[in-house]
Amino acid sequence: MKTLIGLSLLAFLAASPALAAGDAKHGKVVFAQCAACHSFDAAKNDPGPNLKGIVGRKSAQVEDYIYSGAMKRSEIVWDEQTLNAYLSNPRVVVPRSKMPFAGMPDPHDRDDLIAFLKTQ
Amino acid sequence: MAPRKLPPVDIVIVGMGWAGGIMAKELGPTGLKIAVLERGGPRSTQDDFNIPQIRDELRFHQRTGLMMDTAKDTLTVRNKLSEEALPMRRLGSFLPGEGVGGSGVHWNGVNWRWADQDLKIRSHYEQRYGKAYIPADMPLRDWAVGYAELEPFYEKFEYTTGVSGKAGNLKGKLQPGGNPYEGARAKDYPMPPLTPSLASNMFTKAATEVGFHPFPRPASQASQPWVNRDGQQLGQCQYCGFCERFGCESNSKGSPHITVIPVALKNQNVDLRTYSWVQKVLLDSTGKKATGVLYVNVKTGEELEQPADLVILSGYQLNNVHLLLLSGIGKPYDPKTREGIVGANYCYQVQGGVTLFFEDRAFNPFISTGSLGAIMDDFHYNQDFDRSKIGTIGGATLAMGGPHGRPINYHPTPPGTPQWGSEFKRATAKWYQGAVNIAATGSVMPHADNCLTLDPTYKNRFGQPLLRMTFDFHDNDYKVIGQATDAAGVIAKAMNPKIIAPGASRRSGWSVVPYQTTHNTGGAIMGAQPGASVVNKFGQSWDVPNVFVTSAAVFPHNSAYNPTGPVGALAFFAADAIKNRYLKKPGMLV
Repeated sequence: MKTLIGLSLLAFLAASPALAAGDAKHGKVVFAQCAACHSFDAAKNDPGPNLKGIVGRKSAQVEDYIYSGAMKRSEIVWDEQTLNAYLSNPRVVVPRSKMPFAGMPDPHDRDDLIAFLKTQ
Repeated sequence: MAPRKLPPVDIVIVGMGWAGGIMAKELGPTGLKIAVLERGGPRSTQDDFNIPQIRDELRFHQRTGLMMDTAKDTLTVRNKLSEEALPMRRLGSFLPGEGVGGSGVHWNGVNWRWADQDLKIRSHYEQRYGKAYIPADMPLRDWAVGYAELEPFYEKFEYTTGVSGKAGNLKGKLQPGGNPYEGARAKDYPMPPLTPSLASNMFTKAATEVGFHPFPRPASQASQPWVNRDGQQLGQCQYCGFCERFGCESNSKGSPHITVIPVALKNQNVDLRTYSWVQKVLLDSTGKKATGVLYVNVKTGEELEQPADLVILSGYQLNNVHLLLLSGIGKPYDPKTREGIVGANYCYQVQGGVTLFFEDRAFNPFISTGSLGAIMDDFHYNQDFDRSKIGTIGGATLAMGGPHGRPINYHPTPPGTPQWGSEFKRATAKWYQGAVNIAATGSVMPHADNCLTLDPTYKNRFGQPLLRMTFDFHDNDYKVIGQATDAAGVIAKAMNPKIIAPGASRRSGWSVVPYQTTHNTGGAIMGAQPGASVVNKFGQSWDVPNVFVTSAAVFPHNSAYNPTGPVGALAFFAADAIKNRYLKKPGMLV
């Protein structure tokens, strides 16, 4: 399973266009799509884990949050590239994870969101 | 053993669904001590509705995992007064919720405003068709409240749950693409309509060509990320197809557990006690004043008495009526003599429609929400539709949108297909993508025989009599749904499918077995005068003024519309009157 996830992520990375520096201010606006389930409050998990310090961290690291087996086994380091690939189609990049989100098709939105996540 | 007596509180709220959540949220800031007693358990998105566990069709659809457990509580059912009622051993026709959030966690999210076409129904029919038009055995009544008075409270509810829709009447000005027959709204819907499906678009086109006025069904699924007036955040709907009978995994369906309940519980004086099953409202020796409630902690079996100055019954419609009857509040309805009122005017809804089969279309029925679709009111709120030709009161909506194309329950096949075997499998594979339904939902008017009473034989696990439902469809209901199904056939023809399959015949009477709708109403109806009603327009009992009832139990009849909109609006309306008037000067508000 691990290899499969790794492969699908690699395939996505290979297909991703070059990353541009995002606009964190607009990224905050884009984050509204995530805010029903995610916050940056390190003391609290909503339906999704809190995202404080997510950029640069390994996957499935928030204490007290019950991750799916798929996410636990994914062993992704969330950097610009992996986040970009994941956000474009979460359910393909990490199949059977708990996140019910169809993905963010606009590459600019993804760049801006990642720039915003970096500030948190 | 005598029940253990708890320290008194100011207010007891029974049931923590939409109505109880609204009451607790609105009354919390008064600082009064409030105990909310919920007979089911706690519920949250992260613990109960996360994926993959929530997408379990067997557990939540087949085995109704979020609903009332008939092994623990049920009611007895019969069609005719002459029959002996028997206990409903499995859920079927309707699915009352249980637990924090109540039915508000597994509803479809269709959020209507019932306007004067419903609220002033008797006056309208008398005026237009004459007094003799209303049958003698139909206790049809005006509600004690009009649309203008309720309008701000509909808005409050819509801006609490979130609704995606298209206004048809903004401040009296008709809006193209909306419902031309709706009551005037001061503000537009909080969000634009959901992304239409192929089915909604085809229906809109065909119905418009035939001369009707379809519009997007008002949906409490967020069409975009949205924050409500209390700062509660809803996520954008993902059209996952697991809506009705399921809790929402992405916090997109306006539900009490993500809106009013967390806001209410921020007040330290609001105390939510789950697994607390209220057995009766306690009255003093005069019988005119409630002193609190008696309840059982169903985890320990302990009986507790909770003294309170004010009791608000906010449970499911059936449970509220049951509690009134068990507590001896108001005069019970006797269907033989037609005297008494508690339990009278029990109503339901009637279903019809046609299924269309296309060979060259793919509707992708697995992409869906509970409310997605286009709907029309031309045979319902349209008062120009002349009922006298067919002799009906009320009407039906026609809708086509998103079926929930889940694997166990959705395998539409044309008439004549075997129910099992290789031919059934072949037909399912052939028609899964190409089938779509025009659903007709009809109002049901009250009938003197349809009622809720206490069962003389069967008792619940606490030794209390079960609630007994006597219900069947009557002439008016059959005529309403027959006309609507015929009209659905006309629109279906305009869409030119390969096969049009008629809906099930409605001449066979009501059965408790197949699922129809969880829109049970009445039994504790509101009215302008005591005697002819159980509560006043604020839900306040005429007999015991410190007891309020808020739920669809107060509806004097049932519309073709889904009931949650007025349940929410009436809860806000009653909370406002309690907060600003009753608590300052307890006593009758009318």
